[in-house]
Amino acid sequence: MANASRSYLTCIRNTLEAAMCLQNFPCQEVERHNKPEVELKTSPELLLNPVLICRNEAEKCLIEISINSLRISIKVKQADELENILTKKFLRFLSMRAEAFQVLRRKPVQGYDISFLITNYHCEDMQKHKLIDFIVQFMEDIDKEISELKMSVNTRGRLVATEFLKQFL
Amino acid sequence: MKKRRETGCFDRASPALKEILLKFYYSHERQSDMDYQLNEFGSVQYHIQVCSQDAHHVYLSISSPLLTQGTFSPNGVSKCISQTSYSNVMEVAENPKAGYPLTIRIDLSKFPQNKENCLKLITSISSLHADIVCSQLKEMLRVVNIQNTSQGMYNKPIKVVLDAKDHFFVVRQPEKTAVVFPMRFGDDSDVIVATTLFQELVVLGHSQSCAKAPPCTWSPIPPAELRGECFDDLNTNGGFMSFDVFSRHIKGSRIDKTVWNLSNFQAYVRHYVKCTRGFVHRSMRKRVESLSEMMLNPPMTRPETSLTKNQGNRRMKILRRLSKAKLLKKKCSGFLKKIMQLRSKIKIHGLNQIRRLKLSQCYSSKRYARLN
Repeated sequence: MANASRSYLTCIRNTLEAAMCLQNFPCQEVERHNKPEVELKTSPELLLNPVLICRNEAEKCLIEISINSLRISIKVKQADELENILTKKFLRFLSMRAEAFQVLRRKPVQGYDISFLITNYHCEDMQKHKLIDFIVQFMEDIDKEISELKMSVNTRGRLVATEFLKQFL
Repeated sequence: MKKRRETGCFDRASPALKEILLKFYYSHERQSDMDYQLNEFGSVQYHIQVCSQDAHHVYLSISSPLLTQGTFSPNGVSKCISQTSYSNVMEVAENPKAGYPLTIRIDLSKFPQNKENCLKLITSISSLHADIVCSQLKEMLRVVNIQNTSQGMYNKPIKVVLDAKDHFFVVRQPEKTAVVFPMRFGDDSDVIVATTLFQELVVLGHSQSCAKAPPCTWSPIPPAELRGECFDDLNTNGGFMSFDVFSRHIKGSRIDKTVWNLSNFQAYVRHYVKCTRGFVHRSMRKRVESLSEMMLNPPMTRPETSLTKNQGNRRMKILRRLSKAKLLKKKCSGFLKKIMQLRSKIKIHGLNQIRRLKLSQCYSSKRYARLN
């Protein structure tokens, strides 16, 4: 399981390393504007083919690349209803605090749970390999956090149920 | 905007009512008019009044869905009060105050002189509503215990209303009483969190460790006993939780525990959901903080995988492969060459040219005439 996850994350890391060669590029449509081309998608010549990395049907990562920006959309695994609501709550919680992460998109791309937008300015301000490390670490942490939360909720449920039934004794 | 429902109070005594009654007790000699109105859990209302002319009597009026919907008659309340420890200091007023189905007159002059006993009495008076709520269920369970119910009474569910939205059904069956709780929640996520608790309750209820507790079952659809009940009463999103109460659960003093736990079950579940929501929120906040810190101050070291990928110059790679002895030998080879040169014959500059000239004079096939 860990190996499968590692190969999935390594694949994403390698793709990001290859894709993160962004440069400043002014908008071709509006003068004196500089917009992320991956969001506008007005000039097809500035876009590369998107890369979809799937671990399984429920877990995938879409990497869309353009000349000056990169968009990473992640779908996190949700095995049951509890994981589903925990993931939704957590990712909504993150999206609401997107300004703390700089590269986090407030609204995810349709069909995905969370999206990141990296522009050439981010690459200039931050170190490329550290940005990639952050994305990969983030993916690892989300999985870990959801599993931990699920276990905690179940454990709490068991303790509370025991306490309730003990009151009858 | 969804309105969150209030959770119940797990103390029998109402803390606000207790505080007001204590205030009345300490100031009843001052002979002043006092009037208080309290709202608890969105459905229980208290009106407490003292007149200066009659300073020794406190009029406590209570309104709750249990009393207003006519399921509980004033006679039933009188009977309930007569069974309590505070029956000698209070009585049901014949004419209740406008807007309240029940008014009780408390005689402060009959309060004990001892401060501790007085505090105990006020605490038990504050739990009047809890006593009224429990008395109905207690009566129903007792009837089963005595087994004086007629055969026709079996399988006919009795609806017990606790507050504006909370109600449950009591179904009398041979040898047991089934208490069925329709569970309603405001949010889908609350339903899922509560379902984890229901699953645990069902598992533990049938385990050996909790064998003395009433066994419980959960079903998403109404149980067969509730067939024919009003559709609105059976409309739930959290399913139905049933507890089977046997005679052993209501023997002696155990009946109080059983009744109190069953009466509070819905409030207990809602409290659990609320606390779990808070717990999840706290965990998420912590994780977001650690993630944002990671974004701002990334770790200095890179993972091993990235290091292995950048293997560097090919010559350096060869050098890395060589042993220390070989490396030393390679480094010394230049120095050794120089020593060898020093030990060889002495070279004189220009000697080669003279040699070449001599040879050319001797062996040249062409002869050139010197031009003067």
